[in-house]
Formats: sequence, C-alpha cells, structure tokens
Amino acid sequence: MQYLIDRYFHLLQRLLTGLLVLLLLPVLIQVLSRFIPFIPRYIWTEEIARFAFIWIILIGSSVAVRDGSHFHVDVLPKLSEGCERLLHLLLLMFMLLLAIVFMVGGFQFAAFGATQSSEISALPMLTIYIAWPLAGISWSVFLIEKVYRHFSEQNTP
Amino acid sequence: MEPLTVALILITIFIGLVLIKVPVSFALGLATVPIFLMHDRLTVTLLFTEMFRAYNSFLLLAVPFFLLAANLMNRAGITDRLMDFAKAIVGYLPGGLGHVNITVSMLFAGISGSSTADSAGIGAIMIPAMKKEGYDTSLAVTVTACSSVMGVIIPPSVLMIIWGGVMSVSIGGLFLAGVIPGLAIGLSMMATVYVYARRRNYPRYPLVGWTAFFGSAGSALLALLTPLIIVGGISGGIFTPTEASVVAVLYSLLLGGLVYRKLDLKALREVFYESARFSAIALFAVGTASAFAFLLAFFKVPEAIVGQLSALDLGFVGTGMIVAASFLLIGMFIDAIPAIIILGTVLWPVAEAAGYHPIHFAIIGVVALAFGLVTPPYGLCLLISCSLGNIRVVDTLRDLAVMLVPMLIVLLLIVLLPELILWLPRLFMPDFF
Repeated sequence: MQYLIDRYFHLLQRLLTGLLVLLLLPVLIQVLSRFIPFIPRYIWTEEIARFAFIWIILIGSSVAVRDGSHFHVDVLPKLSEGCERLLHLLLLMFMLLLAIVFMVGGFQFAAFGATQSSEISALPMLTIYIAWPLAGISWSVFLIEKVYRHFSEQNTP
Repeated sequence: MEPLTVALILITIFIGLVLIKVPVSFALGLATVPIFLMHDRLTVTLLFTEMFRAYNSFLLLAVPFFLLAANLMNRAGITDRLMDFAKAIVGYLPGGLGHVNITVSMLFAGISGSSTADSAGIGAIMIPAMKKEGYDTSLAVTVTACSSVMGVIIPPSVLMIIWGGVMSVSIGGLFLAGVIPGLAIGLSMMATVYVYARRRNYPRYPLVGWTAFFGSAGSALLALLTPLIIVGGISGGIFTPTEASVVAVLYSLLLGGLVYRKLDLKALREVFYESARFSAIALFAVGTASAFAFLLAFFKVPEAIVGQLSALDLGFVGTGMIVAASFLLIGMFIDAIPAIIILGTVLWPVAEAAGYHPIHFAIIGVVALAFGLVTPPYGLCLLISCSLGNIRVVDTLRDLAVMLVPMLIVLLLIVLLPELILWLPRLFMPDFF
C-alpha cells in the first residue's frame, strides 16, 4: 500500500513538472505570434493554458498535502505531548472534511460542467471541472495515510 | 442573515482552525462551507464556481511564470554576479557585507517578483558569508529577511499583479509607483545597518578601482537588464503583464542556459517542479480566499464596515493609518495573496470614500503586506531566513524590532505623501493618471 501511495505521489510530481511546461508553451507561442509575423495566431493556446493552470493548482495542492508544505501558522505555545497529538488528529480530521466536501460537491460541480463545452475549441469543460473532485480524492488518500501513521506511531514506542 | 453575523461566523471558524495549525488555505475554504450550507439561496457548488472564476484569469498566469523566472535566475548563479557588483558599489561602507546583502536584494527585486525566492536565493549565500565575517547570526538573518521584502515592492511584483487583477488597477502604474517606496525602504535599512556597524565595529571592504567596478558591472549587466525589459515593456504598453512574465522566463532560460551555462536538464526539471509546486500552494489559497471574499461581498460586509468607519470621520490620514494597520495586522497571520483578496476588496470602498487614489491605496496595502512577510508568527521570509541561519525565530526578535522601526516610518511617509507615490506613474504614463 505504502508503495502504491509513493508511486502515486511521484506520478503527481511528474505531472506537475510536465504541466508547467504545457502551460509555458502555448503562452509562449501566443506572445511570439504577436511579434513574429510568420507564426500563426492560434486561439486554442488560451484554452490549453487555462486547462494546465487549473490542473497545476489542484495537483500541486495535493502534493503539498502529502509533504506538509501548505502554509500554516504556529501561534499556540507548546502543549503536552498528548495534547499535541490530539490536536494533530483534529487538524487531519478537519482537512479530511474539506477533502470530502471537494469530492462530493466537486462531483456535482463537474456533473454540471459535463453539459458544457468551452466556447472556443470545444474542449469539454468536464476535463477542467473534474480536477476539483480528483483533488479531493488525492487529499483523502494522503490524509488517510497520515491518520494511519498517526496511530501506528503511537503503538511503536 | 445579518452582515456582521456572517462575518463573525466566517472569522471565528477561520481563526479557530488556524490556531490548531490547519493550513490557511484550507481554513478559508472550510469556513465558507457552513454558510453555503445554511443559506437557502447558496449551495456548496458556489465554492468551486468562485475558485474557477478566480483561476480563469489570464493575468494570474503571470504568477507561476515570474516565480519560474526568479528560480531560474537563482539557479543560474545570478546572485554571485549581483553580489560582486554590490560589493563594488557599497562594500566600502562600515558593515560592508550588510549593505551588500541589502543592495543585492534591491537588484534582485528588479529581476524577481517574489520575496521568498529572494530570501531563499540570497540568504543561502549571504547568511553564511556574514557569519564568517563576524556578524551576529540574528542580524545576518534579520537583514536577509527584511531586505527581501523589497522583492514584492520593487517591480516586477507578484503581489501587484494579483492586486491589479483583483481590484482592476493598472499594473504598469503599480509597478512604477513601487520604485520609490522600494528604494526608500532599502535606504532606511542601510541606515540601520550603518548604525549597527559603527557600534559593533563590523568590517568594511577596501574601495575598489574603476576597472573592478566596471568589470563587476559588466558581468551583472545582462541580469540587470531584466527590470528594464519587464517594467519598460509593461508600462510602455508593449506587452501585457502575462506576456512580460513569459518574456522573463525566456530571457532567464537564455541567460542561464546559453550565456552563463549553469542550467542543464536536471536543474531545469528541479526548478520547474519547485516553481509549479510553490505557485500551486499560493494560488490554491487564492481560490479559497476568493470564495471567502465572495461571501463577505454577498452579505454586504464591506458596506457595513464603510458605514461604521465613515461615522468615525477619520479624514484622509486617519483612514490611511487604519488601512495600513489593518494590512499589517492581517499580514502577521495570513499570506499576502489571500489577504489582498479578502481585505483589499473590503477596505477599498473605505479608502475611496476618503479620497484615495487606487494606486496610492494599493501601494500602502502592498508595502504593509510585504512587511507581513517578516513579522511572526506567519512571516514566510523570516522563517526561510531563520532556517538558513539555523536560528530560532524568537532569537531574532530584538534585531527584527530594530530593523522594522525605520521601515514603518517609510510606510507612514507613504501614507502621508500620495504625490510622491503617484509621481512616476504620472511621469511615464501621463495618459492614464
């Protein structure tokens, strides 16, 4: 299981790198086409850019859930070991709550999007909207892994 | 529901979650959920619609690109070249390396649009160097952290791009207006370092000759052209901010790959991954903050605040102080980008009623939020610099407080002197202002 989650995490990391290239290229073409006459002006460049941009954000948010790099604030004074552990579990539960909202609400949102396609290149909007519920799923996977670790660490002193 | 009830629910849940270390972006999203569920005219789907609306902006694309350009420049070893150049300019002052640190940040601020790239890239080199020359670690860390706030004040600036996008203000105008406050903050910090150096007898470098000066200037020249290309291009109407950000990426790729020859495929892959991940974290917060701000606007919270404040009759300066203080306070606890989306939209009607120019208001907000990058508990640049200097945040607080005093005076001057802030935009873009 651990192995599968690791593979999935690496896959997301690779996708993240690849998507930034995918985001850069169309915008680059768009800029160049304004200054260099023989490059045709493609209109789909903006669509691809929007697609890659939103996927970068939501995949990146999942990667950051696993490596714990979402910004958080540290204001409370250090509490006892037990309290800290309890608060940590509470924090994971709240994050899991938003993950569930993203899954359930996100699927409704995506289902609504399935009826639309984008104005310009007829790219189904579903390909963009589906990023939200999928992010919810990725977060859940990584958060459940963290909850599991939370308890297994307690048993091994 | 009453505006103040909604505001109270949102803010209570948000603060409660942040206290138990829920990430700020998640806390903003979670706080909106009960309101979306409770109100009969709203549904949770709106959370996603609002996020999508925020991301569906061509302007925001500039954020990952400016970050990418800054990280590429960092990786290409621009910092070393800028450091040699800065040494030639200010190295002979007492506390030479401290001034070099500030000057490098100032130069790098003109290349990058983000303060975190600035403190990470410059701190990694400058903090060990300063320690080696006998500077106190806490001072080395504080100078690095504080000087990196210029990254978002001196153009280009990711914060100004987001501000311009969210509040519909000219980004070219914001960039030009940021130049003078940015330089003023840099000079105020150099004054502090000068006093420190005199008291603690920090070393200085010998004055370099003209040959060495022009040599170091020449080796940094190509990097130093970046701000001219970007700011000149945007303010001159040659390209849009997003296009300028892509040009910056292209330029740093050419410079790092072909001229300085420091970027290979492995370095590129790492830089692309890191830039994508970091922009995603920042932009995810933009999404949830937009949903949060949407609810505040839906229940007319800004109007309620304007009503309360205009009853106090604060006048021009008083309102400016309230604006600056609010941004400073929120900047202590949350990231600058969601702060702009939430507080900027709430406070603008207040400032507008008091007769503020949108650009003047924006500069007050951006500078105050930039200071938030070094103020604990949530000061990203301070955290980065502390980890680079291997020192606890608590141990830097004394020097930090000393460094912040002149910076806050500059902020006060920014509030008091709108004409000075608007001078450059009016000079270069007379058609608009």
